[in-house]
Amino acid sequence: MSLAELIRERRSIRKCNSTPVDQELVVELLRKAIRLQPLVEAGSWRVVYAGTPESSRRLVDYMMQQMSQSKLGKLIPGKLMEVFKKRFTDIPAHVIVMSNVGPDRLTNDRNYAAACGVMQSFQLLGWERGLGMLWDTESMIQHKGFFNGIGLREDERFVGILHIGYYDKAPRSRKRTPAEQKWTVLRGQST
Amino acid sequence: MKLSDLEGDMDGPSEFLEQPVSQDLILELLNHAIWAPNDGLREPWRFIFADNRYGDIMQGLQEQAPAYLLILVKEEADQYKREEDFAAVCCLIQNFRLLAHEQSLCVRCTLHEWMYDPSRTEMFGVLSNERIATVLELGYGANQWKGNTKLPETQLHFELL
Repeated sequence: MSLAELIRERRSIRKCNSTPVDQELVVELLRKAIRLQPLVEAGSWRVVYAGTPESSRRLVDYMMQQMSQSKLGKLIPGKLMEVFKKRFTDIPAHVIVMSNVGPDRLTNDRNYAAACGVMQSFQLLGWERGLGMLWDTESMIQHKGFFNGIGLREDERFVGILHIGYYDKAPRSRKRTPAEQKWTVLRGQST
Repeated sequence: MKLSDLEGDMDGPSEFLEQPVSQDLILELLNHAIWAPNDGLREPWRFIFADNRYGDIMQGLQEQAPAYLLILVKEEADQYKREEDFAAVCCLIQNFRLLAHEQSLCVRCTLHEWMYDPSRTEMFGVLSNERIATVLELGYGANQWKGNTKLPETQLHFELL
């Protein structure tokens, strides 16, 4: 598969099968992804990994904590909540990414952007190896209980969770707007 | 080329050759790069291209380069959407960098303080509901990667939950 094909054919995978994901493969692909990035300062971002049924269950509890304790959440029947949780605990691996906020907006943006760049390369490298991923930034999960659970420090921000697994079927593509329609050429400064 | 075979120094060169950069090539690469994951298919990006044909319009703001690509991100009112959109644009930028590297087109990916200043960005046609996610400095480098450059040890902070 060429690079252009890989980029065009990658899909977000919401439904994966039960084939386990090897932690060593995840680490190998993350290291490869870092090599595709211009040098960033060490410690500007980091990964917390959940790859066992036990840690996945804990992660999903953190994700659902706010909702299950909310007024609305208390109205949701326990069984339905379990179905909800199972959707995520059934996914074999979860890569949680956080970046350092730094002393100013520029550093914050640079660190966040670098972490996102690595995550995209990692998604592509994973796709080459048959791994599907879903980049999760759902606002519903972004609460104190979740941040405490994953160990987010005060000088850090949450970038996203990549839920990872092998898949049987990739969803079809949806049409995108050609770049030409979002393209302007500067003709120099008007005087 | 397969992505896993892509190697070399991903940092841009310190200096570019005079050689111009073709708009068509940039558009071709962008039309692959827009296959970045983005929430709700909002496609929150826009592109402004400038080369040095009409004078050095980035003088004082950016390093000298044969061409510049401003990648803009739409600024939603909702904080979560705004973050998701910035992340989506970062993925697009990453796609573009990888594709350019494959074509031996060098990219310096820059983010500077002036990009937060609307009085400066509006000169380039950045709208009030947009901001600059990056300015890419584009060109061809004098020395191609030889394949024997020592890459620094990769730093991965990896912990178990």
